[in-house]
This record gives sequence, C-alpha cells and structure tokens, in this order.
Amino acid sequence: MLKKIFVCVALALPGAALPGAAQDIDLLLKNGHVIDPRNQIDARMDVAITDGKIVQVAAGIPEASAKKVIDAGGMYVSPGFIDIHTHVFVGSNNGFANGINSISPDDFTCRAGVTTVVDAGTSGWRNFPTFKEQVIDQSKTRILAFLSIGGLGLSGKAAQENLDDMVPDSAVWMLKEHPETIVGIKIGHYEGKDWTPFERALEAADKSRVPLLVECHLPQYSLEDQLRRMRPGDIITHSFEKVSERMSVVDDNGMIRPFVKEAQKRGILFDVGHGGAGFWFSEAMPALEQGLAPNSFGTDLHRFSVNAGMKDMLNVMSKYMAMGMKLEDVILRATWLPAKSIRREDLGNLSKGSVADVAVWSLRKGKFGFVDAGGNRIEGDRKLETELTLREGKIVWDLNGLSAKKFDAR
Amino acid sequence: MVIHKKLVRFYPLTMALVILLCAFFNKVQGQQHQEIDILIKGGHVIDPRNNINGLMDVAIREGKILQVAPNIPVTGAKRIVDAKGLYVTPGLIDMHVHVFIGNDLQAYIADGQTSVSPDGFTFRAGVTTVVDAGSSGWRNFRLFKEQTIDRAQTRVLALLNIVGTGMHGRFEEQDVADMNPVMTAHMIKKLFPQIIVGIKSAHYWGDFTQVDLAVEAGKLANVPVMVDFGEHDPPNSIESLFMEHLRPGDIFTHTFSYGPKQRETIVDENGKVKPFVFAAQKRGLIFDVGHGGGAFSWRQAVPAMKQGFKPNVISTDLHTQSMNGGMKDLTNVMSKFISMGMTLQDAVARTTVNPASVINRPELGHLSPGAEADVAVLNLRKGDFGFLDVRGAKLKGNQKLEAELTIRAGKIVWDLNGIAAQVWDHEE
Repeated sequence: MLKKIFVCVALALPGAALPGAAQDIDLLLKNGHVIDPRNQIDARMDVAITDGKIVQVAAGIPEASAKKVIDAGGMYVSPGFIDIHTHVFVGSNNGFANGINSISPDDFTCRAGVTTVVDAGTSGWRNFPTFKEQVIDQSKTRILAFLSIGGLGLSGKAAQENLDDMVPDSAVWMLKEHPETIVGIKIGHYEGKDWTPFERALEAADKSRVPLLVECHLPQYSLEDQLRRMRPGDIITHSFEKVSERMSVVDDNGMIRPFVKEAQKRGILFDVGHGGAGFWFSEAMPALEQGLAPNSFGTDLHRFSVNAGMKDMLNVMSKYMAMGMKLEDVILRATWLPAKSIRREDLGNLSKGSVADVAVWSLRKGKFGFVDAGGNRIEGDRKLETELTLREGKIVWDLNGLSAKKFDAR
Repeated sequence: MVIHKKLVRFYPLTMALVILLCAFFNKVQGQQHQEIDILIKGGHVIDPRNNINGLMDVAIREGKILQVAPNIPVTGAKRIVDAKGLYVTPGLIDMHVHVFIGNDLQAYIADGQTSVSPDGFTFRAGVTTVVDAGSSGWRNFRLFKEQTIDRAQTRVLALLNIVGTGMHGRFEEQDVADMNPVMTAHMIKKLFPQIIVGIKSAHYWGDFTQVDLAVEAGKLANVPVMVDFGEHDPPNSIESLFMEHLRPGDIFTHTFSYGPKQRETIVDENGKVKPFVFAAQKRGLIFDVGHGGGAFSWRQAVPAMKQGFKPNVISTDLHTQSMNGGMKDLTNVMSKFISMGMTLQDAVARTTVNPASVINRPELGHLSPGAEADVAVLNLRKGDFGFLDVRGAKLKGNQKLEAELTIRAGKIVWDLNGIAAQVWDHEE
C-alpha cells in the first residue's frame, strides 16, 4: 500500500511541476505549428486551454494532463482572427442599420477562424442600444463597434446628412456606458463639403481617447485633407479602392502619392475594407510593392460583399498571400496589429491568461483564383482553410471533425 | 472571303451584295451561336431529369438555358467559363431550411434569430432554390414574404406551417385551436400558389391530431405535407404515420435522426431498417434528410445506406443551430452521402430533380432548353476529410463537393476562384 502511494506521488510530482498538472487542462491542441506574432512564436508547439483561457504554449505539454486532446499535426494554430471592418447590425429594415444589408456575424465568422469583429459604424449613439440588445448580446462572435458620429449610423441619407444629430458629447456618453464594446468613432457616408462632421467625429474620438475610423463615401473631402486631419493611430479603410468619389492611394503612374506615404510615416493605419467595391489589384498591388501593406484585413462584411470577390476574411488573407505577402505577415495583420489598432491588447495573442480565442487552419495547396472589385483575377497556389475555431475555449467550428471520435460501425 | 472575278466589274453592286450576304449569314449564325451570354465549356454535366451524365457544354442566354450539347462553338459567346475537371449541374434545391429571420427576441424561428438569411449560405453551396420548412404559418407568412422572400436573390419557396403563427414558439405550436386547414389552404391556393408549395407539421407533443389537420389542409390545397415527427414522449408509431396518416407524396423529414425517447427511428436497435420503411417508400412516401443540428446520426444513416435504403431528398435544415455544426451546408451534407457510398449522380438527383418533383415544381431542377438558368458548377475535391454527425461522431471520406460557380437566372452569383473573371493585367 505504502509502495503504491509512493509510486503515485512519484508520478504526480513531475506533473505538478508543470502549470497544467493532472487533468487540469480542458483542451490541449497538440503538434500544431503555432504562429503568435505578439509573442514572436513561429514554431511547432502545443497550446493548453483551461476555463476558456490560454494556460500554456510550449513544446511537449504532456497529454496525460488534459481532459481532451486534439491533434493539430500538419496544421497551424494562431490567435482567432480579428476583422475590424464589418456591418453586422442586422435587422429587417431596408439598408444597413437594423437592416437587411447587414449580416448575422456568426454565419461568416466561425467558419473563417474569426472570433472578433468590429462593426464599422452601422450604429450611432441613438441606436447603439438596439444593436447591442438585438445582435451583440445574441452572438457567439465577440462584437465590438465603432460608433458613427451620426446618431442613427447608417440609416439612410436623411439621417446621415443631418448635422444636428452628430453630437460629440452624446457619442462620448454612449462610449462611456459601453467601454467594453465601443472601441472607436467612425466618420463616413457624408456628402456635404462642410468639415463639421469630420471635426465632430475627431472631437468625440479625442475626448474618448479612441481611434477614428475614416470610412468611404465622403465625396467632397479630398484624400489629402482627410489624411492630414487624422491623428497617428487613426484608421482609414477602403485603402485600395478605385472609385470616382475618392482619389486612390496610387497615382496614374502606379506610384504611391507622397502625402499618402507621409501619412503612413505619421502613423495613420491603412485597413483593407475589401467590401464589394473597395479593393482593386491596380491599387493594392503597387501599394504593397512600394511598402504600403495594410495594417489589417477588414473585410467590410455585408450583404453585397459576401458573395463577391471578398467572400470571407480567410479569402482576403489568402489573396494577400497570392499577392506575395509572407504567411507570418498575413497572420500578424489578422491578429495582433488589428488588436493594437483598436487598443485591445488583450486580444489577438496567445499569451498566458488571454482569452482562448483560437484558429486552427491548414494551408491548402492547389490552383486558386482571387478576384477584385473590378472582376479581375490573380492566381495563387495556397489558400487558408479553417479547421477548428475556438471562442473562449469552446469549439464553434470543426470542419473535418478534428475534435470528434471516429464513428464505430460495430 | 473569295469574290468571283466577274463580279468585280460591278463593284458597287458586288459590295452591296457582299454586305447583304454577310448580314444574312451573321443573322443565321447569330441565332445559333452568337447570342450566348455565358458558355460553360468542357464540364461534366449531370442533369438527372434529362438523363445527361457526361462531358457537355452549357449555353445560357437571357437568363435561360439555351442549349446543352457537346462542343458548342465559342464564337460569339460573350463570356466563356472553362469548367474542365468540374461538374455542371442544375442549381441545387435545398428542400428544408429556416430563413424567416427577424429580430423578435421572444420568437423562436418565425421572425426570429434562429432563422438565417438565405443568400449567405445558398450560393456558396451551389444552391439556387430553398424551401422554408414551416417557419411561418398563415398568420405571419405575409411578413415573411415582405421581409425575406421578396428581398432574397435566392429563390425562396415555402411550406406553410399548419400552426397559424408558424414556429413562433414551442407552446404556440401545441395550440390545436390555431391549426386551421381552411385558412392554410386559402393562403396556398388562393393567395400565394407561386411561393407556397406544401404544408408543415412539426414539434407537436400530442397524438396524430396535428398531422391529420395538416393532411386535411394538404388535400384542400392539393399540396404535399412535410412531417417532423419528434417530441412525442413516448414516441408515436411511425408505421402508423407512414401507412395510415400520410399520403403518397407526403414527406417524412429528419429521416436519420436518433433520439429514440421522443422519436421512433427508422433503423432498429439491432441496426436493421424496419421493413415497413421500405414499404412506405415504395408506397410513395418521401424521405427527406433534414440534417439540422440534432437530426442526423451515423448510427442510423450508415446501416440504412448499407441495406439499400436511400433518402429521396438530401436537405440541410439550415438554421443557426445547424450552420456551424455537423451540417455546415448542402454540399457538405451531399458529401456525407457520397462518403457512405452514394454516387455523385444519385446525390445530385436528390438535390435537383427529386425535390423539384416532390414540391411539384417541374420547371425547376434541370437544364432543359428554356428552363431558367439556375446552374451549379461543382468541384469534387480529393483528400482526407472528416464528416461530423450531430452526436459528435466522425466518418472519414476522401471526396468532398465544393461549389465553384453558381448562376441564378443567368447571373453569376458566386465564383469561388474567379473562373468566370478576366485575368488581371499588370500593364493595364
């Protein structure tokens, strides 16, 4: 008997020395290639998760210490992806705010390895509570939001052009009430010449110490003026669009405009904001070649982008790989950089203690095509495919049954 | 062009003649080849309704199928899609979905958040037509139509719930006083015969009352009834359901569900398909998959398939509780049956001509000339795949369908790899 106890203790001791001793780990992802840019990890490692949090990322974590083990051999493991430009205030109105042009986030996130989306100002201070109750509180995906400076967000021209409804202090108050959810202020969709809306948006962002997201459809504001008014850390989206209402970032000779370079140097962040019309190879390719890589891969997820060249965030990431961006740079721009840009350093990493939002994905080899807003195709030989998505340690997507036991036909 | 020497003397006349002739030939040629909007070249066409299963081209003009034949000349086709190595089928029909999405937080599926927006799931899976399975009843169908059906790019048809409020809530679904066959039949026959294709009976905890009222409405409106026959504790007899209550052409859904406490299974505890199940199918009862979040188990489907029992229709039961689970989308559910040994042709028949005939919409589910050009171009991926059932068990497979291109009424609505797009030109 004594001998038995001794053996048990001897066996338990090495385990006890490890952070995840005897069955303390809820879920252990074994043998995957971990890419965690925040912690400069790019190697084969195991990831241990307990109580919805990351407890350890290391090589050779013993399986005996885990309640459930998933073999991620041959696959990659990274923080769950962050999409900082979406429209998810879905409802039954026409249009975007509480409307049918927005999208139910869970339909597109889990299957793409996305665990956090940021709504790009579909709501404003007047209708954010409805958005929160109807969508944010109902979704599995973590939904954060930029608040539109217009009180009703994207609720049609009559509301969007109404200066009286752009009240910085009201936006600031709303942000104070929901600091966990509202991460910034948005300006976009204003057709006048008056800079008041822009200034009010900046004022609200300043007072709340949050970034300003500059979206599109500001036809009277020149690109140069927009960039000049932005502060370091503010984000411009639809960076590589080629539309009549906004000057593109590269000139007719395919060179990045000097004031764009200047803005980049000053710390203005460039988001993709792909959407249905916001991404063109003719702009993005020379920009990338000349050193203007996007800081984040915002998809501009909405009803008109999901079935077009955009598809989902993985497809946008794969597109950049086809354009020549290195895999680790792609993952950096899908995890840590967007987390930093919205000042949520708690996200986009696999540091010990972080929430266990994790994407397990494979690199599919083959002949693939990627399309831009103009219907132009480039070819690529690799494509990301999400195998498993964890949100707060819970499996919310499992493409091929990695986490499942094999069916026994008896 | 060779012009006879003698004619040269009459130059002006000759030229006029040449121009006239050219115009004439152009016109003739044009009728044959030059007015093709989209030509899908070199794909393997599977069109079960027309017994086509081989290499063919598909020509589309003005939103309709113009021609399906080998080697259609590319001359004059405005857009050519190279489908070499791919399969070309009629746009898939998903006969069991829930798409009455809304923000009534008190509601379950009707105008609620358990339903999904159709377009986000259909086109990327090659689906061009869905049939909503009783999310709405006669009281709220108009709202469903206004909110979703009229705004969707996907063709949305519907089975009307025998319960007036549809799938608003579990308790409302038990209210026999709100199961009105006459109103249900009016809604179908008099008001919306183009959209409502049948009746749904579901989630009823009692005896056969709900099914019988649904069948009564089905007789009045001359449409089939689909039955979700779960949630009876103890379960009601499915033999009685198949043989005594339903008519040939009526539909039993969630065929491979395993939840024996509330739902009698088609395969017994010894793994044998119950004999009356074959008899029922022979009698004309339609067996629908309706995968869903809780209604597809390998322990039912695998032995059934082995013993030669195939479902008549493969469908998803798409809603938020199924979309990210073992179901995923229609191509995934089809791939499961392929992994169990079903041929691709059989899987395509069960998502095209079969559902079209069950819902009595013979104009759908095929590529006959003149049909609306709803087309799916599918890739049969090879590799190591796993397929989950609702109980978390995995079946391995080495083939998986992926939708490359989807065309709805002649319009490209999904193009995974840009096979219909032009190659980007750096020098442009």
